[in-house]
Parts: sequence; structure tokens; C-alpha cells
Amino acid sequence: MSDVMIRTSGLSKHFGSVKALDQVDFEVKKGEVVGFLGPNGAGKSTTMRILTCFISPTSGSALVHGFDVFDDPLEVRKKIGYLPQRAPLYPEMNVWEYLEFTSQVRGLDASTFRSRLGRVVEVCGLAQVLGKDIGNLSHGYRQRVGLGQALMHDPPILILDEPTSDLDPNEKAEVIKYIQEIGKDRTILLSTHNLAEVEQACARAIIVSKGRVVADGNLEDIRSRAGSVRYFVGFSSASNGTAAPTKQAARDALAALAGAKRVTESPTEEGLHRFEIAGAKEGDLRPEIFKLAVAKGWVLLELRRDAQSLDSVFRDLTRADERLDRGSGWRDTSEAAASDAQ
Amino acid sequence: MSPMMIIAKREFRSYFDSPLAYVVICLSYFGLGLMFFTDTVGASFWKVDKASLTDLFVYVGPGLSALVVPVVTMALVAEERRSGTLEMLITLPVKDSDVIIGKYLGALGLVLTLLLALLVYPIAMFSWPWHLGNLDWGPVLGAILGLVLFSAASVAIGLLVSSLVRSQAVAFFVTFFVLVFLWILGALTDYVGQDVSQGLANLMGYVSFNSRLQGFIRGLVDTRDIVYFISVTLLALVFAFRALERRKWA
Repeated sequence: MSDVMIRTSGLSKHFGSVKALDQVDFEVKKGEVVGFLGPNGAGKSTTMRILTCFISPTSGSALVHGFDVFDDPLEVRKKIGYLPQRAPLYPEMNVWEYLEFTSQVRGLDASTFRSRLGRVVEVCGLAQVLGKDIGNLSHGYRQRVGLGQALMHDPPILILDEPTSDLDPNEKAEVIKYIQEIGKDRTILLSTHNLAEVEQACARAIIVSKGRVVADGNLEDIRSRAGSVRYFVGFSSASNGTAAPTKQAARDALAALAGAKRVTESPTEEGLHRFEIAGAKEGDLRPEIFKLAVAKGWVLLELRRDAQSLDSVFRDLTRADERLDRGSGWRDTSEAAASDAQ
Repeated sequence: MSPMMIIAKREFRSYFDSPLAYVVICLSYFGLGLMFFTDTVGASFWKVDKASLTDLFVYVGPGLSALVVPVVTMALVAEERRSGTLEMLITLPVKDSDVIIGKYLGALGLVLTLLLALLVYPIAMFSWPWHLGNLDWGPVLGAILGLVLFSAASVAIGLLVSSLVRSQAVAFFVTFFVLVFLWILGALTDYVGQDVSQGLANLMGYVSFNSRLQGFIRGLVDTRDIVYFISVTLLALVFAFRALERRKWA
């Protein structure tokens, strides 16, 4: 069989009149750890639920490990370890009982269960809580138990739906560490809206917005898709002997620079005017800004150039969602960028 | 063990992880004892002065309908759906039918445990340690068989309701009303037969759980009643299965 572990083609899902997914196509190959990104409601969970055969697509198809989710749901589920959002577990069971239950349903015999349990307990750090009721565990531990449950049968594919949401920063870091650990020899599809995590754990990302895939590629490619570079500039506004610009004057001067597409004011600190400038990807505005400050006699306190972060790419690509939520109507992102530049 | 039986076992055990099972069992026995051995409802066993447990079994049906079955079945699917554990369960390699039948057997197991425990009364009162008279065992076994079939149908209805609604409180009340309604229909047949129409009364008697159970309690095992209860059970289970499958397309 080929090394494509997950393939969707033309996957669509409608809930009533709402299009949750609209012609989603992607592939995940063996051994890849893929970040599945998007704002809330973009269709991440819906896609994952289709891949785990919890719901059926309205149209289109999906193959997991070569099995069709519609025709062979049991085979698909055998190949998958799945952690749904918020790790729903039975609160009245203790951790051992729960892991035993899922393993038995998956058909593991007692000796396999014991040997796997040792490894899962080690990887997920569950030794301290094995005898505790799940209802009494912190959210971080519950997430670990959910992850443990997904690993018990040593599946080739893991589907994790927001494994780090609702966790505190320490717990997040740990879960990401586990994912890096277990991702060495598995295919993982990981949904999140935390981009720092994707940068740590994944080599590739798929960004969805409003039920469509808007970007798919390795992180470098996605970053380079962004059309602009940001500059952060700060001038002193204190007039102790030197010339100090008013906010408006500084803004106008910066906007007049060749290559500055858009100037926005950042929150001002005491004695400091700050601006964020979007510039073209080619070229560098920093010499111009420095020369401007020298020519005007302004004191330059801050100057930093920031190649597009994944964070801002994500915001650019999924901007339409937010605009729609704020009631300003849907505009194409290029259109929006053009009007912003004016 | 098949996935179905593992789910049934987990379901059955989970009742004993919460106080619910104990509360229901204790309440049932307390209520039953109160009605049977004292004069709260009708004459007590001591006053009737007959070696018969028929009166005892008469109270079991309404008790199951109004309290035990709604409580035992309310959470089966509704609560799992609300808390999201249903997603976890269904995405294990199990068939939807395994989930439905497993849960059904788990809940029915608890109710049957309760019914079998009722055998303590005839044994303790008429064989050992006491011997209060010569008990005719026919009606006792008939009643137990009838109540088993009756419970099978009631639990299936409770499961169906639980898989249709989202909250276990709603599931409790709907199951309560459906079962009590099916019970009361039988008690109303006489009035309806006299005042409204005999045809309607016949229909009511035909579907009422109460009427269907009377024969068993007198020791009369009628195949038609057996077939009726089994049909209701199967029908409710099939609909519950459909209700669970509906999530895929909603």
C-alpha cells in the first residue's frame, strides 16, 4: 500500500443550511505530524469526526490507512487513536479501569494490555494517578489519560482534536512534548489554534477557514506566502532639548516613505510614539527610517524588522471569518488588504 | 468477550460506582415491604391471611414503571451525548448496534438483579427459615417471568427515549410518562368500555403493560403476552439504534 495515510477528496458536510466543510482535499503521508489549523468553527472538528467515522460527510470521500470511512468504519477505527476535544472520559471510572475498558473493546488481550500499559504510563506520565477516579483529576491529567487511551493499541495514526486547549502553560508544554515523543514513528493529525505549538511539534500545517483549506504545506512555505514584512518603530516624544515629533507628524513622515504600505499606531508608552509599518517583502525600510530620524533630528528608540510570523499569516488567511463575525460583511482577503493599504 | 458484552459490563458496573443503584434498590424494597406487609395500600399480607404473594407482585409493575426503569435508563445515551463520552465510545472499533445492545443489557442486568432479589420473599417466607404456609409456586414463577418480559420492554423504551433527547432529566420524565401511561391504560379499560366504546377499551387493554401482566401474576403464561413484550422490546431497540445513527447525518 502507498504511504498516504489519510486522504480526503471533495469532503463536504452541511449542517442544515450551514456549510461546515466545503470541498476539503488533503493528504497526510506516513510519519508526518501535521498541524490542522483554523479559527473556532472553521471545520477542524467536523473533519476529524468524519475521519473517525463518528459522522458521515454530505459528499466526498475520505480514506484512512486505505480504508474508506463510509464502507469500513470498523477497520478505520482500528487504525486510529482518537482524542476528541476536551477529552471526554467516564468520570466514575478510575484511570486503570478506563484504559482497560478501551483496550478490551479494541480486543487487546490481558498480557498485551499489561505490556502496553507500562509504556503508555511512561510516555504519558500516568503512574501517580492510575488508581484515581477520572472525575477527580485535573484537566491536564484527563488530557493525558485521553492521550493514553489513544495510544494503548499502538495505532499507526493519531487524530488529536485540540489536545492542549484548556490547559495551563506547563501542561501545554508537556502535552506538546509527548506529541513530539510519540510523533517520531506515527502519523499525527493535530488540530489547534495555538500556532506556537504547531511550530514546535509539526513540520507541516493545513489551515482551514470557513470549511475550506486555505493553505497547505510545510511551515516555511506557508510563512513565505505572506506578502509583507512588519517593522516596529518607536520615536521619543519627550522634548528634552531635541526635536520631538507629534504623533501625527511622525505618522505622516513614515507613511511617506517609499515602500511603506500601511502605518498603524501601536499603544503609546510614556515618552514614546510607536508605530507598526507593513512593508513590501523585498527590500528593507530600516535604513530609510534611520535616515528619516536623523534628518528630522528625532530620537529613535526602537527599530525592528519582523519577517512574517506564522501567527500573522494565520490571521491574514482566516481574516474573512473574523470580519463576518463582526458584521462588516465578507470581503476577499486581497480586497481587504488593498483597502487597508489606502 | 465481544465489544457488546464489554460495554454491557461497564454499564452494569457503573451503576454500582454511583449511589444511584443502591438508592434505587433500597427504596424499592422499602416501598414494596411497606405496601405488602402494612395496611398503607389495601389490606396487609397478615390480614389477608393467605399463602399468596400475588399482592406483592401487583405492586412491582408500577414501581418499575414510575421509578426504577426511568432512573436506570435516563442517563444511558442522553448523558453520554451531553458529556461527549459518546464520541469517545463510538469512535472505538464498535458497531452502533454493539453500543445500543450493550447499554441495553447493562441496564436490563440491573433491573433483573432487582427482580431476582424479589425471590428472597417467597424463599424466606415459605421455605426457609420460616414456613408460613404451602405456597403455590406457579404464580410466583409466572409473575417473575412476566416481570422479566415487562422489564425487557420497559428498559428498551427507556433506552429509546434516552437516545432521542439530550438531557437525562428530560429522559427521566418522558420515560416516566410513557411507562405510566402504558400502565394506566389497563386500569382505565373498564370505564372506557362502559362509557365510551368497547372497541377503544379493547385496544387500550391490548397495548397496556398492566393488562398484559395480569395473566402472568395469576400464573397464566399466555404466548400472546410473551410475543407482545418481545415485539415492543425489539421495536424500541431498533428505533434506538436508528436514533443513534441519526447523528451521522444531522
